[in-house]
Amino acid sequence: MTVVNDKGLKLTSRDEFRFLSDLVLTRSSADHTIVRLRDHHAGTARFANNQVIQNVDARRGSLAVTVAFGGQQGIASTTDFTAGAIQETLARAERIATVSPIDPEYLPPPDPCVFPIRDTAKPETMAAGPSRRLEYASEAIGQCRMENLTGAGLVSSSATAVGIAADNGLFGYERRAGASFSLTVQAGDATGWSAAAHRSIDHLKVQERTLATISKAKRSRDMCELPAGRYPVILEPAAVAGLWAWLIRSLDAKSYVKGTSAFADKLGRAIVDERIMLRNSPDHMDLFGEGFSTDGLPSLPSVWIDHGTLKQLAYDRFTAKSQGVAAIPTLEAPMLSVDGPSVHSIQDLIKSTARAILVTNFWYIRPVNLRELMLTGMTRDGTFLIENGEIVSAVKNFRFHESPLRVFQQMDLWTAPMEAVNSETGKLLVPAMVLPQFQFSSVTRF
Amino acid sequence: MSSPIWDESAELALKRIAASGAEYGDIRIQDSSTEHIEGEDRRIASIQDSRDIGFGVRVLYHGAWGFAASSILSLEEVPRVADLAIEIAKGSASIALEKVRLAPEPVHRDCVVTPCRINPFTVSLEKKTDLLLNTMETLHRQSGIARSSASLWACRDRKLFVSTEGSRIEWDLLAGQGECTATALSEGRFASRSFNTPYLRKGYELIQEADLLREAPRVAAQAVEKVKAPVIEAGEYDLVLDPEHLSLTIHESCGHPSELDRALGYEANYAGTSFLTPDKQGSFRYGSPFVSLVADNTEPETLAATGYDDDGVMCQHWDIVRNGVFVGYCTNREVAPKIGESRSRGSNRADGWGNIPMVRIANIGLEPGSATVDQLIADVKHGIYIEGHGSYSIDQRRYNFQFGGDGFWQIENGRRTHMLRDVIYHGITPEFWNGCDGVADRSSRRRYGFITCGKGQPGQSGWMTHAASPARFRKVQVIRGESSS
Repeated sequence: MTVVNDKGLKLTSRDEFRFLSDLVLTRSSADHTIVRLRDHHAGTARFANNQVIQNVDARRGSLAVTVAFGGQQGIASTTDFTAGAIQETLARAERIATVSPIDPEYLPPPDPCVFPIRDTAKPETMAAGPSRRLEYASEAIGQCRMENLTGAGLVSSSATAVGIAADNGLFGYERRAGASFSLTVQAGDATGWSAAAHRSIDHLKVQERTLATISKAKRSRDMCELPAGRYPVILEPAAVAGLWAWLIRSLDAKSYVKGTSAFADKLGRAIVDERIMLRNSPDHMDLFGEGFSTDGLPSLPSVWIDHGTLKQLAYDRFTAKSQGVAAIPTLEAPMLSVDGPSVHSIQDLIKSTARAILVTNFWYIRPVNLRELMLTGMTRDGTFLIENGEIVSAVKNFRFHESPLRVFQQMDLWTAPMEAVNSETGKLLVPAMVLPQFQFSSVTRF
Repeated sequence: MSSPIWDESAELALKRIAASGAEYGDIRIQDSSTEHIEGEDRRIASIQDSRDIGFGVRVLYHGAWGFAASSILSLEEVPRVADLAIEIAKGSASIALEKVRLAPEPVHRDCVVTPCRINPFTVSLEKKTDLLLNTMETLHRQSGIARSSASLWACRDRKLFVSTEGSRIEWDLLAGQGECTATALSEGRFASRSFNTPYLRKGYELIQEADLLREAPRVAAQAVEKVKAPVIEAGEYDLVLDPEHLSLTIHESCGHPSELDRALGYEANYAGTSFLTPDKQGSFRYGSPFVSLVADNTEPETLAATGYDDDGVMCQHWDIVRNGVFVGYCTNREVAPKIGESRSRGSNRADGWGNIPMVRIANIGLEPGSATVDQLIADVKHGIYIEGHGSYSIDQRRYNFQFGGDGFWQIENGRRTHMLRDVIYHGITPEFWNGCDGVADRSSRRRYGFITCGKGQPGQSGWMTHAASPARFRKVQVIRGESSS
């Protein structure tokens, strides 16, 4: 089936990808050949100062050809899908491979398999075009204007055809859709923020999130300055996700094997609180599960941290083979959960807390020391002092220095997993949490 | 340079725009070739040759923008995309309160070509892979090196810009870079040291002149020294920062806050705003009188020296900070009039054909002073010399920052002594720059650039170069980058 959106644009269909890949596979003289497709059509309505500042729509189709003669390989790609350009791309890949040194880590394409079929292409998102995005942006802008506040944000949607085919019969094709909304509301110097991403554009909850963001911005006014130091914290889901994204990013198996990982010798050992579970949940409707990875491996449910114990690493195929790991897990749909009784909402966490700093989100998180996974970053868009179960004041933003391997050793209270997105992570499901100690190392001026 | 189909496509798109009643429109057609060779742990891990062709159409209709782009460059697709850009602009206009007004710019008809001695795409792959393999072998000859990497990158952009105002600009631009890294392992700790050429608009002579093989033994030896080096004691230190390190400090703490779109709130939802608000222009003491930061998009070989930006505005040279006072912004045709400026500074750039251009940091550099590097160090009793890039983080108004580095040396009583590890310094941007009391002279000026400057939603990468001579900063707070602090 050819996919057509409301502007009449066609994504590469399964049959078309089969045709394009056959064009390469039947002409390739290499021992092994892999063809990868990414045909991405995306649009964004972006606004600031309650005005649309960018309204864009772009389609980029790209075909990458990997060939190998023995262990010599080459990769070439093109955005031109004409037969001549594709054959020229194959020729470039072959030319590279013939002069490449033998790669001792080269492996032939994975064996063909039946990939899971997932509901990755919601029709309402596939069909969404500029008018739908503008409608949502207009709704958020309108609410901000009514409150005499300043809104900046975006509404985006995308439809992508992804494919992989190899000369050993491996074949995968999937259509994937996604939509996102994020909003920063400025009330003078104060800001509030929220974000959402979902396979279905109908699930962005633009009105609900806009009202919540306006409320947070208003509460962020009249901030006081607290000294840097150790505080109990309530981390909203985006803040938890920011820290966990770096932990997940550091699970690289090759670094582990070479001894240049924060997790050296920790596989099979407790690394965080024994109630914490980290899973890949590709079938969860609120996550961005996929049928297969760019390596051509199936995406399956898996457990990465089991009751605080590290159970999995992120393997490339060569390291997996050398370590005797038969099934390579993926982690494109991470869900973090905590065993035991949870509270219903962030408001319940606040009500149950005597004194803490409530953090909406972290910004510009970067590693300071990869050996300990020591991270730094700033609080952003809504930081508050909680006393006796209530928000008593907004506070100026802090810089932190902390390792997720330390702060997640103990949690006082948590919610069930909630949707979390921030500007530097993908989508995760994580709980909001109360942590007993968190190191804020300096204060900024706003 | 451009092909007949490019000209025909441009004409087709501009005709549609003119017929729509839009006040302005342009088309950018681009054909980019990128070669990236990556080595890891004594092997060539990948050789990638990417070709990226497409076009983007931008329309200003009743004061509001629309943009559409496609990788299908055909006479059927161009009208579809042009019509879509017009329709999107009309949608934007339907809810616009404030109309975009473009600063005037003369019509330009020109062709810009990067001069080069050796086209990197004509150098054989065997020669390049041999260089990387030999470099990694050399790194591993040093006892204690556990991992290595080395890479070469080259990019050629052929581009055509045509606007409804009559400008027609063609480009054939090159850029390149090479680097190597060694990681040493000792007593469960690991530490890396790198050498990289700047990203510059030069041919393969950039790689030949840099001589990775000559640098590799030093890089490996310093990685081993670094992993065994003592940890710094937290406290107040004087810092002498080398040009490569300063390129990042300038980029984050001066470059981003001087982007006018940020200062006006355009980036409030993502990259953030700026503490350099327009009311401070001309009076705010950003740094000490030793600090003059100049934007120069005309300096040959630098990344932003492309002749013209993606508004078709000619590249320029202007002050951002003069003798410590904040005086100028990076602007485009849209935002310049909002602060009363009659002409754009020519800093509007898009990441390829598929993105709409936005204000990007110019080639902002620190003006040289009069001291020698030895003189800067000689006047430090208790300090640290820092080279290269490490960890970095800065708040969304570019005020509270923190930087690490790649190589650190203790300075004691005016002498650079031994290496240190895990040094982090932090501060508040204007306080830090007001602590600058010396900049070395032009003889030690070096240029470093970035091709991964992230901004915008959807995210775009910006390219720019930051030149500096080493500079000295007094009384900077330094902390240890490990938990025992």
